[in-house]
Amino acid sequence: MPEPLTKELRDRLRGVVGDAWVIVDADRLLAYESDGLTAYRMTPRAVVLPRSTDEVSRVLSILSQEAVPVVPRGAGTGLSGGALADGDAVVVGTARMTDMLALDPANRLARVQPGMINAHLTTAAEPFGLYYAPDPSSQSACTLGGNIAENSGGPHCLKYGVTSRYVTGLTVVTYDGKVVELGGFGRECGGYDLLGLFVGSEGCFGIATEIEVRLLPKPEGVRTLLAIFDRLGDAGSAVTEIMAEGLLPAALEIIDGPTIRAVEASVFAAGFPTDAEAALVVEFDGIEAGLVADVERAASHCREAGAREVRTADSPEERLALWQGRKKAFGAMGQIASDLLVQDGTVPRSKLTEVLGRISEIGARYELTIANVFHAGDGNLHPNILFDRSDADELSRVELASTEIMAVCVDVGGTITGEHGVGLDKRRYMSLVHGPEELEAMRSIKAVFDPRGRMNPGKVLPDPPATPDQDQPAPSATPDSARVTS
Amino acid sequence: MNPLGGLLSERLSKEQVIDGFDAKPWAVCGQLPQAVVFPENEEQVAEILSLSSEEGWHCVPGGRGSWLHGGQPPQRVDVLLSAERINDITEYEPADMFVVAQAGVGLKALERRTSECGQWLALDPPGGERGTLGAMLAVGTAGPLQASFGLPRDQLLGATLVTGDGRVLALGGRVVKNVAGFDLLKLVAGSWGTLGVITSVTMRLHPIPATDRCLLFKGVEAEDGADLACRLAQTPLALAAVELLVPGRGESGGGAPSPLVAVRILESMDAADEAERVVSECAGMPPVQRLEGEQSAAIFDNVRSMEDGAELVLRLSLLPTRLSELVEMTSRLGDLYDPEEGWGMRLAAHAHTGVLRVMIDKVSRSDDWVGRAKTVLGVLRRSLEAEGGSLVVSQGPPELVGAVSAWGELGPAALFAAGIQATFDPAGILTRSRLPQ
Repeated sequence: MPEPLTKELRDRLRGVVGDAWVIVDADRLLAYESDGLTAYRMTPRAVVLPRSTDEVSRVLSILSQEAVPVVPRGAGTGLSGGALADGDAVVVGTARMTDMLALDPANRLARVQPGMINAHLTTAAEPFGLYYAPDPSSQSACTLGGNIAENSGGPHCLKYGVTSRYVTGLTVVTYDGKVVELGGFGRECGGYDLLGLFVGSEGCFGIATEIEVRLLPKPEGVRTLLAIFDRLGDAGSAVTEIMAEGLLPAALEIIDGPTIRAVEASVFAAGFPTDAEAALVVEFDGIEAGLVADVERAASHCREAGAREVRTADSPEERLALWQGRKKAFGAMGQIASDLLVQDGTVPRSKLTEVLGRISEIGARYELTIANVFHAGDGNLHPNILFDRSDADELSRVELASTEIMAVCVDVGGTITGEHGVGLDKRRYMSLVHGPEELEAMRSIKAVFDPRGRMNPGKVLPDPPATPDQDQPAPSATPDSARVTS
Repeated sequence: MNPLGGLLSERLSKEQVIDGFDAKPWAVCGQLPQAVVFPENEEQVAEILSLSSEEGWHCVPGGRGSWLHGGQPPQRVDVLLSAERINDITEYEPADMFVVAQAGVGLKALERRTSECGQWLALDPPGGERGTLGAMLAVGTAGPLQASFGLPRDQLLGATLVTGDGRVLALGGRVVKNVAGFDLLKLVAGSWGTLGVITSVTMRLHPIPATDRCLLFKGVEAEDGADLACRLAQTPLALAAVELLVPGRGESGGGAPSPLVAVRILESMDAADEAERVVSECAGMPPVQRLEGEQSAAIFDNVRSMEDGAELVLRLSLLPTRLSELVEMTSRLGDLYDPEEGWGMRLAAHAHTGVLRVMIDKVSRSDDWVGRAKTVLGVLRRSLEAEGGSLVVSQGPPELVGAVSAWGELGPAALFAAGIQATFDPAGILTRSRLPQ
């Protein structure tokens, strides 16, 4: 059990946010001991829930005066353990910061608080014919502040790009409570792109307390097709052909045989044939007049690549039905295995088939079931390793297989994480993809924003190499010190 | 050869260093470097920068020299380091839609190569196609296509940067989705050479659209042209670009040409027809001209070249819906040129982002012209900044830019900027003063 806050510190924090919003009771802290990556559990020392930029600034000033480490947290849906806090750290959550601060439909801009849920922004913008493009699968639960921290993607970023393309301004609070404005639409400030640097910094530089984003006009039309394949490689070839023709679908998603069978065995059954080895979802959006031809060309590529069945959706209901299998895949797998580890490597698209083959070989060698759900258009894989954590031997095989999968992704010119972030989970693997000079540069840049290293400590970067003349203090939260529950 | 040039040519070769009169075309905002050096690979770049860090020589990186007159004039330039000879397209994977190219590769050469495979780098920065990839990224500016494709940073997947002290950093990668660690790559675009020398970049490519169509609409006055541009940018279509063009504002003798609004549509044929219908309906008039394919591209190539020959280029910005106000404000700039001489200014605005470029071909040199420019632009900058906008002096006579300052002030973010620069350039040789402080 972590050491409780002193009464004096507790009272000072309560003086800022109100009595109800400083959580110290052990049973209530349990809700914060994990995020979307459930393999790790850690109990924070306390949770503080401020309401405004000013409150965040005052809370951080107090905590930094007392040298208490801080872990920012949105909805806790992250998949890399980035929002976990060990016994020393206090979680500063954005759950109460859910306001729309300004909606400017004519300029297609919104300014929101970081605790606003991703999907709520689109709901608010819809009456004006606008929407917010980045759509991580957790969009009905995850917060925009969390999306900023992770530079989140989603199925539609093939055409529309990731979060960083849509963030035009931020108000951020650093560990010492300083409030700094970054960017802002409608002005060219010159200087380094601090806004771009902050997006994706996983809460290690500060807390974004106000977020200005660009909205897009809702496309006039959307067309979706689903192709069923007997071989995963054929679905991969269809993707290559579709892209080679110069078509730019809004989304290109594949689920493999094991995933199809998991979906069909679950309450989310979407009517996929269970003997199929791949289902490919292709979606086009834009000006209605151009869509029919695009869909037809994509469908013919699917047939040429060997699809045994191609279904198209014209109505929103049919479209929803085609997406069902893809969107509920994670939930379905949760029903057939007690534990799930989701990998997130990205590879150049032309290497997809090769990499899937190597992942399947790794799964066989370690006797693990690996089910793949992935954003094929941009090469972002999500191999799901199904396991039972009470089986220590299996757990160690999961660990080895994960490492090998990441190494394969890097080997073909890809990376270890495309959208889930490094967090606590993948910091050990950062040296697979970055050299010592690059890691050192990242450390230095972190120190520019957080010289004392107390903002989300122990995340993203691996421990610095030990130097003989200097004892490096261990970061306060490492995977090794994390209690992997059994 | 001067001693500095001599030392450099000992390290490299005589053919790789020029100085004196030969260095004249490489002046940085009017300042002649002591030597211009042309490294042929990354190792030589690292060697030059390490040596410069040891010796305390101030370095400015460049490509072919197109942008050297832009930005805040540096306090001192010892070495101009040109990436012109580092110019191979090292890897091109059409199937993966990315290209790895060295920094000195010309935009034209890149376009030739990728168009063979039906792909393009969807950026149209000012300066036409004579610039290099490295320089375009270092400067970080974009043209009309930013409405749909964003800034150079949005197409940048990876880069190799040689830091001020000669470290070689591989940043980013070759895939679009990549969140492995802090995004240092973002710092490279728009860093104006103050963090290091870019030696190689990996860029995202797009398929060349089936139809490239430009619709030209005519306004009566510049302000109503701005209103039209603003309205067209708000149609619920993903238009590739909407650009307001005012050819001769403030020119004497009447008969100044009318403002034009150029709309660029990049779509499939069927979708382009539909977009044209929606745009014309929204404009309330048919286009005065409709250009297709190469002719459409040529109109926007001209927009890219609009800064050519201009002595002073300003970038004013406010929120897009305030474009006509912004255009109206340019009437305050009358003191900067001499209408009696027949000179005026040209305007071009990106309607989706609210950035207005003002090109003045001939700056008035009457008494105290620098003092007057400082007053006029200072007041305008303050009023724009108060409204959340900005004024950037993109290029101009060095004494004027020096007095007015190219950029506004950074505010509290300056603290981070200084720390970042120290990380990449500990000896402080990469003319940090070219960026806002």
